[in-house]
Amino acid sequence: MNFMLEVKNISKSFFRKEALSEISLRVNKGEIFGLLGPNGAGKTTLIRVINRIVEQDSGSIRFDGDLMTENHLSQIGYLPEERGLYKNMTVEGHAVFLGKLRGLSRKDAHIKVDYWFDRFGINDWRKKRIEELSKGMAQKVQFICAVLHEPKFLILDEPFSGFDPINVDLIKQELIEMRAAGKTVMLSTHNMKSVEEICDRAVLIHNSKKIAEGTISELQNARKTGLYAVRFRGSMIAFVNALWTGFEVHDKDILGDDRFIVRVKMRGDSSFEDLLKVLIGQVKIEAAWEVLPTMDNIFIDLVQPKESE
Amino acid sequence: MLIAIRELKERIGSRSFLLFSTLGPLIVLGFVYLMFAFGGQSKQHWNVLVADPTGIMENKMMVNDDKSISYAFANDYIEMEEFADAKKYQLYDALLEVNEKVLSNKVGFVFFRESPSIRMQTRVQYQFERRLEELMVKEFTSLSLKDFRKIKQPLSVNFRDVYDPYNESSDLSGWVGMFYGGVIFTFIFLFGITIMRSVSREKSNRIVEVLLASVSPNQLMIGKIVGVGLSALLQFVVWVVVIGVGLYFMRETLFPDMLNAANMNIHDLTLQVDSQSYQDTAFASREYNQFVELVYNRVQFVNMTVFFMLFFISGYLFYGALFAAVGATMGSESDGQQFVIPLIVLLCLALYGGYYSLNYPESPMVDVLHYLPFTSPVVVMVKLAQGYYGPGHVYEIYLSLLALISSACLMLGLASRLYKNGILQFGHRVRLKHIFKWLKKS
Repeated sequence: MNFMLEVKNISKSFFRKEALSEISLRVNKGEIFGLLGPNGAGKTTLIRVINRIVEQDSGSIRFDGDLMTENHLSQIGYLPEERGLYKNMTVEGHAVFLGKLRGLSRKDAHIKVDYWFDRFGINDWRKKRIEELSKGMAQKVQFICAVLHEPKFLILDEPFSGFDPINVDLIKQELIEMRAAGKTVMLSTHNMKSVEEICDRAVLIHNSKKIAEGTISELQNARKTGLYAVRFRGSMIAFVNALWTGFEVHDKDILGDDRFIVRVKMRGDSSFEDLLKVLIGQVKIEAAWEVLPTMDNIFIDLVQPKESE
Repeated sequence: MLIAIRELKERIGSRSFLLFSTLGPLIVLGFVYLMFAFGGQSKQHWNVLVADPTGIMENKMMVNDDKSISYAFANDYIEMEEFADAKKYQLYDALLEVNEKVLSNKVGFVFFRESPSIRMQTRVQYQFERRLEELMVKEFTSLSLKDFRKIKQPLSVNFRDVYDPYNESSDLSGWVGMFYGGVIFTFIFLFGITIMRSVSREKSNRIVEVLLASVSPNQLMIGKIVGVGLSALLQFVVWVVVIGVGLYFMRETLFPDMLNAANMNIHDLTLQVDSQSYQDTAFASREYNQFVELVYNRVQFVNMTVFFMLFFISGYLFYGALFAAVGATMGSESDGQQFVIPLIVLLCLALYGGYYSLNYPESPMVDVLHYLPFTSPVVVMVKLAQGYYGPGHVYEIYLSLLALISSACLMLGLASRLYKNGILQFGHRVRLKHIFKWLKKS
């Protein structure tokens, strides 16, 4: 069994409003899994169901091969989207309290706190009260609280919100290291660039239903447009003249100094190699690649048409 | 347990806890001190009419004039009602009735219009007693007055309100019960509000979601109630210790003679009776203050404290669960305002229940309030202090306690459902249909 988490046909309604409808997904061990969807799609409800904060109306969840019980909660780390801290506790006191709540002994909690405070360079904050911290500082403390007990499975709901780019990068690196150490991460975010960068697989939920699931490249390939891009130096006229009837210019970006990026659509049986062959000698090719949809494009593509329905 | 300990630490660390723990009992002690020291100072000068039909007193009272009391003598029998209403007696504040057998039965009555200060009572009693001693020595003995005072027995003088001679409208012991009940409800209300605020704060700052990922809503609620309850108990213990030590200190140092007339050195008093200033000192030390007697002698502290604790804990669990449920169902912190008013009404109802049973202990309404969990802690305290639970009635206090404990369990069960279903709902308008739905869901 290679699944860390297996969600099967989970449904949940609040006062007749359906929040989750027959959702099924699998998260492999040692991967970073993206949980995507527009606001109100049901992501947070699904996360709460996994954390046993909210009880599902139907369906089941297996954790590391077993039917999930309360005992598994100590193996999960959770950073909720709407996160809070006790404002009048000290940073250290808060981290130790949450560590103990997750099953660490007092001694272990202090050892882990020392490790993570060193790692994030926040030793000076130990005795500060939470209310004295900036939003970004509090976010770091919250992240540490979520990973302090070294969970097998980490659930992060919008972990990058409120962070500056440096700290976003810091968190990303942490997640990549955790994956390398065999941990599993479930990441719910609207930051599609991060999804492309660090997620292995993702699921997209919309209007309480799952609408797509797969590896990032599977999701991209399923929605590729057949466009190829060429960055070259030379004359635009020469470029257009060189194209065979098997190609069609889709659009172009002018970079200046006779440099362009042109996106080309294939016609008939024309291939990427055919394109490069006809261009060689006509313009100076700097780079050429297949244009894949970004996760942003996929997200909008999957969600928007349904919204206009 | 971790939740409870965190709550406890947070409460103990808060400024309001420290203030309430230190200033609260000190204020009570200060109040008690004032009651002791100035036990009902009212009129500074009293006109006392001595009704002495047989002329025993020989129209005399003290050798030295007492500036605060003027005595007039009437050698006829005056009815209490007559004294109360007749015009000619209106200039007198009190009637000292000297019956013909006073020398043998040693009973006198003072009928007053306006409750006299303790000091005034003591003066009248003292002066009357001294005069009778003189008469008794002259009549029955060959002893000197000095020797007689060495061997004399104390005289009983009863002070009666002319409009309420049997003192039916006030029952000091019952008021002690009321005080106990009041303390229960003050603590329950203050700490209940603390629970409610704490729950709604955790909701609004969203820490609750992190907590719920580790503990069940039930554990969270119980932890919170227990934690806040422990801090209430701790605060109560601080109160008891500070007030207890304070009362002991007062008894030993400030008012040592109040409690025991034998502490008074009669011999010295007799020798120095001519000195007005010494008289004042002696009066002050001898004031047998009703309040002092109540605090030190009449209240069955052990019995009351045991039941106080039982009813306090059960009542706290009952109301604590209610407050936690209210906190959990609120959509925002400001929703709390609208809930506070009905809760205050509930509190007032409970206190009124206590007051009602103070005045009408036998009424059927009190029987109902006695078993109603909302009111039973205060009603039982009042009845206990009134000495109601004598033979044949003892089972009632246990029945009431059982009813309260069962209600607390039921309330905890209902509250845990509301808590579980309401704790993660934010920013909604609280509707009754939601509450019923949450209650129905397990």
